[in-house]
Amino acid sequence: MASRSRKTGSAEPRGSALYEVIKGIDFERRELVDKSRGVGLFDLVKDREGSYRCYACTLCERTCPVDCIELDYCPEFEELPFDIAAERAAALASLPGESCGAGAACVMGEKPAGFQPDIDMKLFDKVIAGIREGSGLVEAFHTTQETFGYLPRVALEDIASEMGLPFSRVFGVASFYSQFRLTPVGKHVISVCMGTACHVAGAPLVAEAFAQELDVAVGGTTPDLLFTLQTVNCIGACALAPAVRVGEEETHARVTPQAARKLIRTIRKKEA
Amino acid sequence: MAASAKNPTARQARIQKALKAAFRPELSTGGEDTVKIRVCAGTTCNAFGRVALSDALTAELDQRGLSDKVRVVLTGCHGLCQEGPIVVVHPQGVFYPRLKAADIAEIVETSVVGEGVVERLLYRHPETGEAVPLEKDVPFYAGQTRIVRGMNGFIDPTSIDDYLARGGYAPLAEVLVQDDPDAVIDEVERSGLRGRGGAGFPTGKKWRFCRANPGEKHYIICNGDEGDPGAFMDRAVLEDNPHSLIEGMLIAAFAIGADEGYVYVRHEYPLAVARLRLALSQARERGLLGNNILGTGWNFDLRINQGAGAFVCGESTALTASIEGHRGMPRGKHIRTVAHGLWKQPTNLNNVESYATVPWIIANGAEALAAMGTDTSKGTKIFSLTGKARNSGLVEVPMGATLRDVIFGVGGGMQEGHEFKAVQLGGPSGGCLPADLLDTPIDFENLTKYGSMMGSGGMVVVDETTCMVDFAKFFFKFTAEESCGKCVPCRIGTQRVLEILERISDGEGTQGDIDLLERLSDDIIEGSLCQLGGSAPNPVLTTLRYFRDEVMAHVEEKRCPAKVCRPLIQYLIDPEACTGCHVCFGACPTDAISGESKALHVINQALCIKCDTCRQVCKFDAVPVVDARPALVEGRQQ
Repeated sequence: MASRSRKTGSAEPRGSALYEVIKGIDFERRELVDKSRGVGLFDLVKDREGSYRCYACTLCERTCPVDCIELDYCPEFEELPFDIAAERAAALASLPGESCGAGAACVMGEKPAGFQPDIDMKLFDKVIAGIREGSGLVEAFHTTQETFGYLPRVALEDIASEMGLPFSRVFGVASFYSQFRLTPVGKHVISVCMGTACHVAGAPLVAEAFAQELDVAVGGTTPDLLFTLQTVNCIGACALAPAVRVGEEETHARVTPQAARKLIRTIRKKEA
Repeated sequence: MAASAKNPTARQARIQKALKAAFRPELSTGGEDTVKIRVCAGTTCNAFGRVALSDALTAELDQRGLSDKVRVVLTGCHGLCQEGPIVVVHPQGVFYPRLKAADIAEIVETSVVGEGVVERLLYRHPETGEAVPLEKDVPFYAGQTRIVRGMNGFIDPTSIDDYLARGGYAPLAEVLVQDDPDAVIDEVERSGLRGRGGAGFPTGKKWRFCRANPGEKHYIICNGDEGDPGAFMDRAVLEDNPHSLIEGMLIAAFAIGADEGYVYVRHEYPLAVARLRLALSQARERGLLGNNILGTGWNFDLRINQGAGAFVCGESTALTASIEGHRGMPRGKHIRTVAHGLWKQPTNLNNVESYATVPWIIANGAEALAAMGTDTSKGTKIFSLTGKARNSGLVEVPMGATLRDVIFGVGGGMQEGHEFKAVQLGGPSGGCLPADLLDTPIDFENLTKYGSMMGSGGMVVVDETTCMVDFAKFFFKFTAEESCGKCVPCRIGTQRVLEILERISDGEGTQGDIDLLERLSDDIIEGSLCQLGGSAPNPVLTTLRYFRDEVMAHVEEKRCPAKVCRPLIQYLIDPEACTGCHVCFGACPTDAISGESKALHVINQALCIKCDTCRQVCKFDAVPVVDARPALVEGRQQ
């Protein structure tokens, strides 16, 4: 496709609007000691109203070559010393949707994902062992998820400290990949394939039938922790379209909305 | 390849001895002329009840005391997934599709003990209806040229000896005997092999660049992150013949001078990971991988790296970022991965299929591959033919075959009662081609010319029941979800395109929306770093190019010709056809259907959620889907 020419030719010089904004701000420029880096300390810049200009975008934390910047607490709250552990515990206890309190250990604006049951940290030893043998971050997540069914927050924290990475980086990787779950998962994970062939054969209707029967949205878990409904992009079994996978092993072929409802009822009956 | 003169005898003898020592013929399952039964154990056949079938087969053979004479081989995917589960009885090669455990006894009696065929269970020719007893005569197989998939379905993928028995690892030995990396690169370059992952970069050239780049270490990576929905040829190679990939990577590593390699496999393919892991350990055990390969003192090892469900990780720079343990985000490619890839070292990255073709090139010579295909695209390509074609499955054809050859030849045409509407190639980055382009020869350039692309080889055939607006919406939903978020035009643009498409499919689109779609598509293409954004608008652009009428029907007439877009359709019960069987009444999830048994039923439109259940369960075709507006008008008249 031929590219269209861009609109150009604004009378204003480039960037002038931005300049108008910045020139009014009184930057607090601090004199650094004239020795080279590492001696002067960084601080957050305040604007004229006295509020910090930092948006906690974590860019500096991620770019820092020696990981010396860590996003930790919100300076709006002056009462120091800051008890990270207590704040973190308070944040974990707060329910999803509620404000976590700006002073809590806030990572990239992500609020703690609700209640997480305690996990058996003994099971976590093999993940740590794997890391020491040189497995990558993604591999460590896979082992963790195989063990617990999801990535518990404590586990992520342990991985971060074991690998010497900032927690935000570990969390950022975990939340990037759609396979990793940050919340506990139901006993039966229903994966509705949403590949092209399945879509053409009516997979959206099937997913909807599941959602209706289970009364959860796609991606959700039933309150009794029995079912988790998710969609996957393609399981590569296009001749079975629309295909549905229950757990890791069981694949159902040519599922209709009616069959989907029946499937849930059968499993429910078995579980009852 | 001509043998090199460099100290040939001693080295050659050592390598040949090591290769011979690696092979244990007694463990191989034997050739096609021996008495054995091949049972397809691919994912699809497994889902169709293969386990019960092979259990019944083993039990039957045990009962007749034949279990030590007749081997049951669980092979990888045979390709004709539509007809699963598939069983082939050798030495005759009789082909039995869609078998049930109950049929086993009869087959053992007739085809294994005797030499006949069970007439009623044979494959029927889709057009003539005649029985096709032998596997090689089945039109689906007869129409293919299988290079990469040559052994798939014949060997036991868990047995390295099956691979060795068919001349596997001999090309590697040949390369090591010759000991001339440049000659290997020349050979691959002369064969004209181009990257099978979609972009079509000449493989030999890439190897040469990578070899020439200085670095502490060279890496090679295999891209098995087959994220395109509707594509599964890489999975087939990984599951059905993992050693062909390992051998291809070994040859590439030798040519490039790499001593470490990664295979990046999707986590959605658990079987592929397990098979590959087993194959790697077998190869190490037999001295074909690891330290001192085939007694030459050369070291090379492979690691498996599992993906985690991010489509963008199929992009080379995102993939290396993912292996390094970062978010899988691509970077600008002003510096190529061949210079600055994994851990900032020169890295060669190829697709599974590209690597798996290499042993064949070495064994048969570059000219043999170059003889197949078109001027610019050589060799064969595997397509995963899916959707409404009669034979869903994996098809390997020479480049330059037409779409018609693949869909109507090998694919056996459309399913009964359906009409060809479009074929979607190349996954979410590709486009839909209409019926009048069916005679287009398939190669990299041709597909790009018509606004689609080769991609990794997904080929989804759709019929009149697919709405092109809904189809484009599907792809944009996918790209909007999978965009990594680095480039704003891609992250927000795809979202906006999706919203516009939703508007159109809801019957609220305007003429301005169509222009906006075109403009926005251009901007997304121009403003994205990687090919995810660079090709994401292809589905919508090809839809506007070839199916504009259908889009305009949504915009101008507020009508969905394929009867898919929900706000524009309505379910009714045909008073002529309804027998009052009461089936739809029970099936309706929202109790929108009322009516007594043996009397006409009526759908309450206020309650109907248009879930299609009633239409599917009706045995009398009494639930027609009609355009919403005229039906409403009619309803008022009644």
